[in-house]
Amino acid sequence: MSIEIKLSRSNRIYRPNESLEGKIIANLSSSISHQGIRLTINGSVNLQAILVRGGTAGVIESFYGVVKPIPIVNRTITVQPSGRIASGVTEIPFSVILKERGKDNMEKFYETFHGSDISIQYLVTAEVARGYLHKSLSTAVEFIIESEKDSLPQEPISPEMVFFYITQDTQRHPLLPELKSGGFRISGKVCSQCSVLDPLIGELTVEASGIPIQSIDIHLLRVESILIGDKIATETTSIQTTQARTFLSDGDVCRGLTLPIYVILPRLLTCPTIFAGPFSIEFKTTIVITFKSEQTKKHPKYDPKTPRSYMAMESVPLELVRKK
Amino acid sequence: MELEFRHRDYITEEKAYSLPRLPAGTHPLSTSPETLQQVDLVHKEKEENDFFDPLRKINEKKEVSFEDFQDEEITGGPSNEASVQSSSKEWTSFKKILMQRFSASKNIPLSSISNAIMKTGKVTDKSPVDSHLEELDDPQKFTEEGLKVISQREYVLRLYELKDEIALSWSKKEHVTSLKLCIRVARLLMDTSVVQFYPTLFVLATDVMDMLGDMVWQRIRQKAEHREDGKFVSSLPDDFEANSISDDAKETCNNWFSKIGSIRELVPRIYLELAVLPCWRFLVDNPMSSLQRLAMMTRGIADPIALAYCHLYMVHRAQKLPQHDLGYLVTGINDLKFVMMRILSLQETTCIISLADRRLLLSLMEPAIEYMMRCIYKDLNQVQVRDVIVGLGLGKDKSHLFGDCSCISVILHHLLKELPTGLICANAMSILHLIECNIDFSYDQYLNYKLLGLRLCENISRVNEAMALVDKVIQVISCYDRLHEYLEVLDAYVDIVLHNQMHIYLNRILNEIFERLCAKGIDKNALSGLQSFLLKLVTHFDHLEDILSLSHFVDILDVMHGSSRNIINISILRMATRNTCIDDPTIIHFLFEVSQVLHDGTDFSNIRNNENQHSARLISRFVNMVDYGRDFERNLSFLVDCRGAFGDMIELKETLVHSSNLLSIKLMKESSNLFAFAKSCLTFSEVTIAAIPDHFRRFSLYLETAEVALMGGLVSHADGLIDSALCYLQDFDLVDGLRTTNDTEANLSLICKLCNLMIVVPGNVEQGFLDGPKKIFSFLDSQPWMTSKLKIKGMCALISILAAFSQNAIPLQLIPGKVIGNHELIYGDPTCSEEILSFSRAIIQKIVDIVLQEPSQATSGNLALEGCSSIASSFRVRTDILTICSRLLEIAELSLSSDDRYLVSTKNFVNTCQLCCQEDGHLQNSESMTG
Repeated sequence: MSIEIKLSRSNRIYRPNESLEGKIIANLSSSISHQGIRLTINGSVNLQAILVRGGTAGVIESFYGVVKPIPIVNRTITVQPSGRIASGVTEIPFSVILKERGKDNMEKFYETFHGSDISIQYLVTAEVARGYLHKSLSTAVEFIIESEKDSLPQEPISPEMVFFYITQDTQRHPLLPELKSGGFRISGKVCSQCSVLDPLIGELTVEASGIPIQSIDIHLLRVESILIGDKIATETTSIQTTQARTFLSDGDVCRGLTLPIYVILPRLLTCPTIFAGPFSIEFKTTIVITFKSEQTKKHPKYDPKTPRSYMAMESVPLELVRKK
Repeated sequence: MELEFRHRDYITEEKAYSLPRLPAGTHPLSTSPETLQQVDLVHKEKEENDFFDPLRKINEKKEVSFEDFQDEEITGGPSNEASVQSSSKEWTSFKKILMQRFSASKNIPLSSISNAIMKTGKVTDKSPVDSHLEELDDPQKFTEEGLKVISQREYVLRLYELKDEIALSWSKKEHVTSLKLCIRVARLLMDTSVVQFYPTLFVLATDVMDMLGDMVWQRIRQKAEHREDGKFVSSLPDDFEANSISDDAKETCNNWFSKIGSIRELVPRIYLELAVLPCWRFLVDNPMSSLQRLAMMTRGIADPIALAYCHLYMVHRAQKLPQHDLGYLVTGINDLKFVMMRILSLQETTCIISLADRRLLLSLMEPAIEYMMRCIYKDLNQVQVRDVIVGLGLGKDKSHLFGDCSCISVILHHLLKELPTGLICANAMSILHLIECNIDFSYDQYLNYKLLGLRLCENISRVNEAMALVDKVIQVISCYDRLHEYLEVLDAYVDIVLHNQMHIYLNRILNEIFERLCAKGIDKNALSGLQSFLLKLVTHFDHLEDILSLSHFVDILDVMHGSSRNIINISILRMATRNTCIDDPTIIHFLFEVSQVLHDGTDFSNIRNNENQHSARLISRFVNMVDYGRDFERNLSFLVDCRGAFGDMIELKETLVHSSNLLSIKLMKESSNLFAFAKSCLTFSEVTIAAIPDHFRRFSLYLETAEVALMGGLVSHADGLIDSALCYLQDFDLVDGLRTTNDTEANLSLICKLCNLMIVVPGNVEQGFLDGPKKIFSFLDSQPWMTSKLKIKGMCALISILAAFSQNAIPLQLIPGKVIGNHELIYGDPTCSEEILSFSRAIIQKIVDIVLQEPSQATSGNLALEGCSSIASSFRVRTDILTICSRLLEIAELSLSSDDRYLVSTKNFVNTCQLCCQEDGHLQNSESMTG
């Protein structure tokens, strides 16, 4: 005895001004009577328990807080009044308008996002109530919200590019002495505004480098901030690392050629940049150059947020938008 | 049995029965001058084709299709299914060659990357959304655990296992698992620590990628052809457009690209995107931009080997797109060139990699260059060809190609290989200049010179500035110290030299070759080069004199040895024996020496070997063609020399006998004074025949020589020869072989010929004059292998001899008045007549017996008729003979149908003969009565 929800779109993407359509499929071994079939739509911004590290002057401030979720939508409709469902497979179609004008203006329909601290999630739940004696049958499924097309800005004429230079002098962290003395210069450009559907593009050129380069990676980072009381807690986490240049064996021979930067933005893990009152979701691109040194071997895995002496990096803010 | 021979008038009979004869202008077997030339031409052409066939054929074809397409609009590449198939075939064979070319050592030390291959264990399938990051990004888990060593076989086996695993999980619809395993395989390509193994690894790994790529393509295609509820909509045409694809299919496609895009490492990310490259077609109409981007992305691969093979895979996958422009290939080659330049320019002292390792590196990169070039020039029009050359940095603009440009030998080599012949011929000098400017260790410079020559030879008549070109090349090679390099390059240009009649260069070349030979001797490589060069020379000239007049030709020839020497000798002989006769003593002497070397270098004991037979035939032909004109003595002594020199060649002895017989006839015709000398020729023949082991040939040569002897009236010689022939018959039991029908029939006709000779040649006094025919009779009777048909024929021939013996006059006569023939001795002698008759009886009886013993009815009928007509034509048909004839006719009637033409005509013949006899009888009777 089970029920499930099948949405009309296999990618489960809907826009706030559209109706959520689909059907409840009941697969029953015997017929049952019920006291109504209800459908609940729930959307909220969950600001999870956060452990914030950071602070100033070496003082580690940490505070732990559970912030109340911010509701976006919560509506229940009755699909069928009380009655019976026959045994076997029964399909009960439904259609719900997501955003009722004038009524439901609790919050903006933010786009679905799954971050480490913030998640914006939409669920549709179906319930077959069967009175006090029986446990009600229920199921839930997530659907994905993308912004309405009407409210989107026109496509910008050209993507905004930011030029960057990475040299031994632009680094704010201590470098290996041989890096300091040998010197290096990597230049390039990268998108600072980008559609979530398009790849992040750019290019870079290793113009000079005193010691061989182990790899060049493009890190995609998200910056999630939450207002807790009067403080803003911000955490930066890595979403995806994409190697643009790899060093496989001896013989780093290819300086001077322009390498493309091409990063496909992962869905659900990215969304248009949001600046809301209680929270914000931002992104940035970090280009990390790892030089070949004895230390590189000792630390095969590294975190782009903590610079090391054999690395050089440059971060560029990235505004994600949804285009028409 | 009462017998009486008929009276025959052979001369009148011949006149009456023979067909009218007309004099013929030419002998049907003689070679007229025109046909000779034709044969020559065909021969020549054939030879050249044999030599160049594989390359030339293809290129000629290419050229034609190239011109055909010129007027049409050319799309970027192949768009039909067939060409996709052909390119995949090409790929398959290329992979095979690649694996054979680089075979690695047996053991492979595993680096941290390759270690992953040994991790078996199932990849558990977590929910794709929340774990896709971590599962695609786990290579760092395999940190160094110390180097392990596994055998290459084990490695390969493991790869095959992985491939099966991927296919299996795909079939279970666990697509993500398949992808994960595939990424694991692709990661192996990051490891270039064992460079020699990399090509093998590449082939195996890309095999897996291809499989995954095809499966993804099929899956999305299926989605595009079906509705969401699984109903089939319509099949996708080959040239579908992206906007006809359902959102659902596009969604799936996008998912794949996103998943692959999230792979951290560059190399596996590029490989996997290439694997699913064709799927871009579901999303966009022109997927070329992706290819361009991928080509740019490969620049991030620092390792030259990994870079080269990544380009190789890119070319392969790009063939799957319906059309692709060549920009990415040109970019790719330029990038590889850049990398190679770096490798080449590294200083020995400052570089960690040794020169040998760098050579190895470049040789491993070569297949990529080769395949890319091949794909670039697959189907291009003339404008595009020029564009590409400019794109590769080998020309300032379309009209100034191949200027002072820097290139890399190995790239230049493969470019030269693929460029259209027309363009090469038109720019020969500038290409030559380009080769001259580019010396590096990526490819031997002399091989590029050679290649240019070979390519020019494909359309030799269109080569521009041939004179200057050849001059330059000869200048270049004059500096070469190593003979084999000198020859390799030279070999490619010889055709141009010869074609343009630039014979002035030949002496210079030969001198230079000789100098090098004297200085360093000859090694195996040089030998084959020399062989090819000399072969071209020999086939080019029509007259041996021209070749012999070249300086050092003979000296150089003498340095050669072994099979190369034989090949040249054969071709010299073939060329020399093209003409009708050889009469120049110096040439004869040269050819004799050539033949002698060929003879000594060939193992004639192996008769079945075709090549040996060929050289034996050529030597025989040469001997046969030698003609000293009136210098007969010299001619004979030449034959004697030949016999001494070519003792192993049985075939040649036959030729010697023929030649000496010919010589005797010439002598006899010339003057009667030379008879004594003719005798020595005959003696030479006789002695030579005795050394021939083949009985049958010996027999026929005895008869031939006997005929010649008889012609000159040298009866005693003829007698001896015929005796030898008869001895052969007696010894026949010992002889094996000649069991084939051809041989036996030929043997029979020789026996008939022998019979003829016995009519004129005086018989042996001691043995009696019928000794010869009797020997033949017993021979025919005793041979179990003789068919009854042959026996009858033989018997009939014997009857004819006996009939001839009993005639008053016969047209055959030796030298009238001088030598008395057998016939003249016998005729009229009553004891002889009696002997003849009794022998005839025995023969007639034998004929009847043979007919009766023949088991097959049809055959016996024909045999009976044959015997009957022979008897009827030799004897008077009356009394006993009549009875015998009627009996034979009866036998024939039993087995043949009554309207059989042979039967009818034989019957008529017998009747006529009978009537004649009666008339004769009447006449005789009336004569005696009147008398």
